Amino acid sequence: MPVYIDISRCIGCRSCEVACQRVHAGSGHINVHFVGDLASFPIFCHQCEEAGCVMACFSGALRKDEEKRTVFDAEKCTGCDLCRLACPFGVIWTDKIAHKCDLCQGREQPVCVTTCPANALSTNFQQASRRARSRAACIAASGGGR
Amino acid sequence: MIKVDADLCLGCKSCSNVCPSQKIVCTDTGEMRSLHWKRCKEECDLCLEFCPGRALALVPYDESVPEPEVSFELVACKICQSRYATEPMLRRIESTLPANMQKDSYGLEWIRVCPLCRRNIEAQRATRQMVLRRSRKRA
Repeated sequence: MPVYIDISRCIGCRSCEVACQRVHAGSGHINVHFVGDLASFPIFCHQCEEAGCVMACFSGALRKDEEKRTVFDAEKCTGCDLCRLACPFGVIWTDKIAHKCDLCQGREQPVCVTTCPANALSTNFQQASRRARSRAACIAASGGGR
Repeated sequence: MIKVDADLCLGCKSCSNVCPSQKIVCTDTGEMRSLHWKRCKEECDLCLEFCPGRALALVPYDESVPEPEVSFELVACKICQSRYATEPMLRRIESTLPANMQKDSYGLEWIRVCPLCRRNIEAQRATRQMVLRRSRKRA
């Protein structure tokens, strides 16, 4: 269950950051980045299929579960920092242990998704796919080209 | 007591994090990281067990042996120059990633960029795409 993002909808309110921190005892896993005044973009774990963090983890704290989610076991984490360095997107951070998106395990939906007031985040593949198709269709209809 | 093989130590502070009696002290001062293993009589081998580089060994207690200390220069990010890791840690990442992740034309240079800059690059990339779309709509 990946989280999809529609960046054109993000209003940069950082509600997702706050919500994530609230359910993870103050240590959040999502960062809203601002690119000048043009745009805001929440960056979080991509749940990579070929996950660098899992490969770098030597203690077995990070692993892939049956549903290909990257799950994290805080009990096994030593805070060695290797996963942080192996993440191409730079979304893991560490203090005494690593902090990484767990897709809000135990909840029906990740809290960033349920909180987002602009509907920029979703776990709905159909919706994400529909939006992507309509964007492409728009460009094609207006003459295409890049 | 702990014996340290400085050639194997990554400077990752795993041992310092897991030591129940806080006898392993890690200090980051600007450009340098130093690790200091204080004399230890505990019957515990957590630090050995959780050392990614297998750099530690237990040796009989001996007052005359100096306390081990290792220091590393922290590597500066190629973009923002902030110090974010030790060289052996980055080498370790390079060796754990599979060959197909190292094949693209840029190779492993991305490892030399700090996590914050990696996120910024990702944000700029996504924004460029969106701004392009917006300008198309207007036109």
